[in-house]
Amino acid sequence: MDPAPRRTLTSLLLRGSTQAGLFVILVVLWVVFANLAPGFLSKFNLNSLLRSVAVDIVVGFAQMVVLATGGMNLSVGAIGVCAVMFSGYLMQVLGLPIPVAIAGTLALGALLGWLNGFAIVKTGVNSFVVTLASASLFSGGMLILTKAVPLNGLPAEFGAFGKSAVGPAIGSMPAIPSLAVVALAIGLGLYVLFKHSTLGRQILAVGANARAAEMSGIPVDRTIVFVHALSGALAAAAALMLTARLAAAMPAVAGDDWLLPSFLAPVIGGTALSGGIVSVVGTILGALLVSTIRSGLLVLEIGNFWLPLFLGAFLLAAILVERGRAAYVAREQARRA
Amino acid sequence: MALTVDKASKSFPGVRALKDASLELRSGEVHALMGENGAGKSTLIKIITGVHRPDGGRLLLDGQDVLFASPRDAIRLGISAVHQERNLIPRFSVAENILLENLPRRTGLVDYARANAEAKKYLEMIGLVVDTRTEVRHLSVAQMQMVEIAKALSHEAKVLLLDEPTASLTGEEADALFALVQRLKAQGAAILFVSHKLEEVLAISDRVTVLRDGETTLIGEPMANMTRGRLIEAMIGRAERIAVVRPPKAATGAVKLEASGVATAAGHRDISFTVRRGEILGLYGLVGAGRTELARALVGKDKLSGGTLSIDGKPAVIRSVEEALKRHRIGYLSEDRKYEGVVLLHPIRFNVAMTIWDRLARFLGFQTAAGERRATEPFARQLEIRTPSLEQSVGNLSGGNQQKVSLAKWLAAKVDLLIIDEPTVGIDIKTKAYIHELIGKLADDGLAILLISSELPEMVALADRILVMHEFRIVDGFDNDRSYEAMSRKVMGAIHRHSDEAVAVE
Amino acid sequence: MGAFFRLQWSGILVGIIAGGIALALSAPAFLSEFNLFVLLRSICVSLLVAYAQMVMLGVGQMNLSVGALGGLVAVVTGGLMDALGVPTLPAIMIGVAAGGAAGFVNGWLTVRTGINGFIVTLATASAFAGINLGITKAVPFYNLPADFVAFGNGRVGLFPLLLIVPLLVTVVLALFFARAVPGRHMLAVGGNAPAAQLSGVSVPRAIISAHVLSGLLAAVAGVLAVAQLGSAQPTIGSDWLLISFAAPIIGGASLAGGAISIVGTLLAVVLIGLIQNAMVLVKVDPYWVQFLLGALILAAVWFNRYRAIKVGEI
Repeated sequence: MDPAPRRTLTSLLLRGSTQAGLFVILVVLWVVFANLAPGFLSKFNLNSLLRSVAVDIVVGFAQMVVLATGGMNLSVGAIGVCAVMFSGYLMQVLGLPIPVAIAGTLALGALLGWLNGFAIVKTGVNSFVVTLASASLFSGGMLILTKAVPLNGLPAEFGAFGKSAVGPAIGSMPAIPSLAVVALAIGLGLYVLFKHSTLGRQILAVGANARAAEMSGIPVDRTIVFVHALSGALAAAAALMLTARLAAAMPAVAGDDWLLPSFLAPVIGGTALSGGIVSVVGTILGALLVSTIRSGLLVLEIGNFWLPLFLGAFLLAAILVERGRAAYVAREQARRA
Repeated sequence: MALTVDKASKSFPGVRALKDASLELRSGEVHALMGENGAGKSTLIKIITGVHRPDGGRLLLDGQDVLFASPRDAIRLGISAVHQERNLIPRFSVAENILLENLPRRTGLVDYARANAEAKKYLEMIGLVVDTRTEVRHLSVAQMQMVEIAKALSHEAKVLLLDEPTASLTGEEADALFALVQRLKAQGAAILFVSHKLEEVLAISDRVTVLRDGETTLIGEPMANMTRGRLIEAMIGRAERIAVVRPPKAATGAVKLEASGVATAAGHRDISFTVRRGEILGLYGLVGAGRTELARALVGKDKLSGGTLSIDGKPAVIRSVEEALKRHRIGYLSEDRKYEGVVLLHPIRFNVAMTIWDRLARFLGFQTAAGERRATEPFARQLEIRTPSLEQSVGNLSGGNQQKVSLAKWLAAKVDLLIIDEPTVGIDIKTKAYIHELIGKLADDGLAILLISSELPEMVALADRILVMHEFRIVDGFDNDRSYEAMSRKVMGAIHRHSDEAVAVE
Repeated sequence: MGAFFRLQWSGILVGIIAGGIALALSAPAFLSEFNLFVLLRSICVSLLVAYAQMVMLGVGQMNLSVGALGGLVAVVTGGLMDALGVPTLPAIMIGVAAGGAAGFVNGWLTVRTGINGFIVTLATASAFAGINLGITKAVPFYNLPADFVAFGNGRVGLFPLLLIVPLLVTVVLALFFARAVPGRHMLAVGGNAPAAQLSGVSVPRAIISAHVLSGLLAAVAGVLAVAQLGSAQPTIGSDWLLISFAAPIIGGASLAGGAISIVGTLLAVVLIGLIQNAMVLVKVDPYWVQFLLGALILAAVWFNRYRAIKVGEI
């Protein structure tokens, strides 16, 4: 029997889950930024941070569900921009009521995602190549149809929702932006999917070991198609949130801008690139971490321009730290065994 | 030259693979290394080729202690191995694969003229007639193996280790290989021939070392004093002879599956048999006979190209494993336990519940980990899976417990027909006996079982009837009289007859 | 004839010839000297970008930072010439060397940390883009030496002077992968890394070398882009990622590694350039290019797979 483990903070940090560690880092960063730049905790900054992170969280979700099966979706941004313009088209050009437009846009996202999944399963071609190609197809198609003309005449309620907040403002704490609530609600749905549903379990089984899953009677092909359709729908959801925030449908948004964030959030948060493991909470924390750094640097006026450099460096550092920690834990376990 | 393994021991988390195993290999001899799957052959090979370092014991080359930090050290010291997985670069030519270590150069660039000429030399040494410019991926399996041997020769290998070399070869190709082995031996090479095929070992080796459960039971015995009986006893041991022999039962259960004239793309032809509930039908054959491929076709993974299947009396076409399970209640306990039988990454309760998730779900697919635990706990208990909790990752379990998890999954699914493929490979004796007892009980409870095994004792202990498969055909079938000697004679006889017939046809 | 069709890139060649003929018939301006010059010039940069990724596919890896790396070298070179007054040749050499160094960073990080090359280069792409923005503050460098700009615009008949570079690189790469030992080692690692390692090939060295080579190629592409545009735009490289994968893949490269085709990549770049040229001549929405490119990738990959199954390779 080994002696009682040392209950120091570091040992807790080391042995805790990735998500717990992320949370601690997040808190530390907030404290640091708040001290260095009082403007960080201003209502304006917090609102802006929470609204933009809401979109990033859902973008991260769109990639996370595909990563769960061990694949990837490079067309998240392309589906996003298609959804943005389609929602604008439905609301402004066709004048459809907002709920109908939302449903229609989500359906489009799901359809585009379904096409990805179908192509992957039917042709047997790697998801990397298929979604690389479809990203081009989708965004090209969108540009052809819309001629890259932005739509600024969206119904006022839609933009208002993007700016709205829920609950009372307590002292200097702002009310929670509605978009953030939407992101959390989606997160809750995904959490229930992966932790408490048959489909979620099947997805994780396929990602961990597709052969074993198939030989145990799990419909692997159907699962992959579903996951891609879900990814498309989530990308569309993020697109709707973005459009609400901007109060306009612009073809210049999403697209390639979403590529890095879509991977950053899940991977930092503990979702495995190889599949079989996801963390909804981790993806949320990962997106929060990235947005916090972005916001902090902005407030500190370190300059918008250097931001991508920090993000890239930070991603690597975060993964390295996590790997080091996991290796440490594995060594500990082996030693105790 | 002599390569000596002196009392090597090696353990991995949860399992002791080797204990005081010894072996001595000399130049100019063919030394066979035998043992059933799971006896420790693979670990011993890895120690000799430098992949693993022994926990205890020594490795000596010509009397000097050697320590391999990596496989490259072993290669440099003259030990070359030809394994079952191909170690060739698919799109490179034969010449380039052979000489990859030391490509001939001229003015800094590869001199292909010289490379082809040199490679041709090695090919002539082993008698392979192939254009050295051919891309290796266009060669047959037998030819690729020869290329690897040529490669070993180019490294001036003093020790050549052949790991189950005839696994994917035809009879003719195997003969050509044996002729080559004799030539190499005459030239002074020390050849370690690893195989579980008795006939081959008896035919071509000079001495034999046998592994059983990690220990060497025969060390360097000359083949001249060897008999089949002694070899078999060394491999499976009289003490380990299956104690629990299922008493003969009359076949009275309803017919669960009937195959008529089944043919597959893999090459099966004219496969016909029936399996009844409460019956264990054995499918025996040597490695490569086509049994697993047949199982995969029966369970919906591969397609039938001819013939019919009738399940529960009705004709059926099985298009997927999902359909086999959900509609026809057929399950398959995979031969490849680690990569097909279980999902190592996830906990026990996840793995066992994989086949019953849809049943566990209440509304809209909702279920909980606690629900999974409740549903799978009885099966874990029934199979006596040794674990502190059902949350334990299957990857952390021993081989025997992993197999129990794989089996539990099918028990949970409550299938009517379970195809069991090599259930006790690489599993410790106690668990082995336990699984045998369990299989017997399952049949007694009414399950229809198709048992695939290449361990005749296991087959004789459990099966009610034994079908013999050879080269993708069923060559004979016998009722099991539970006498090992008699059944062994009948089964081996059937295989030999079929090989003789096949040769006669050619 | 059968042997011709079994070649991976025969389909692309047929496509180019057919497309060229169709274009010549429907748009007479296609065969004009100026148009052919523009066409040839457009493939200069693309070809190098495609090679930069092709090299990575050869070793069984990916480089998602080709665009950002090339773009960074572009602004560094431009900045040296504009802001620091460095003469043309030294500026180019420093820029290209910087590209090689950046490639080394990519390779070293991938090998030392064990993190998937996909993630590593995704991160460094962001880092390089950040440095780019930090240096330029989104403002291009306009003040470039006259001889440099002249080289970018110069031509002999319909052949752009710029074309010399990609043609030279093509020959060198062909030789490198067919006859040079480091090149063969890279392809060995891409084809079967464990087997290569057992034969004494250093897998880390092959991966790092491939990254350095990829960085150098992307760097040269960046320099050529500056010459072509006449100014060092911070947006150079921002749209390179797609074509860097599209051309080698259409040309027959396998994502698994160890199977690349220089001829195939070259022809694929020509085909894509032809399509882009056609769009301009026929006055079709330029957005169709993106759409067609995606369709082309899918068609090519599916076709290659279909052919491989028929030939019995899969």
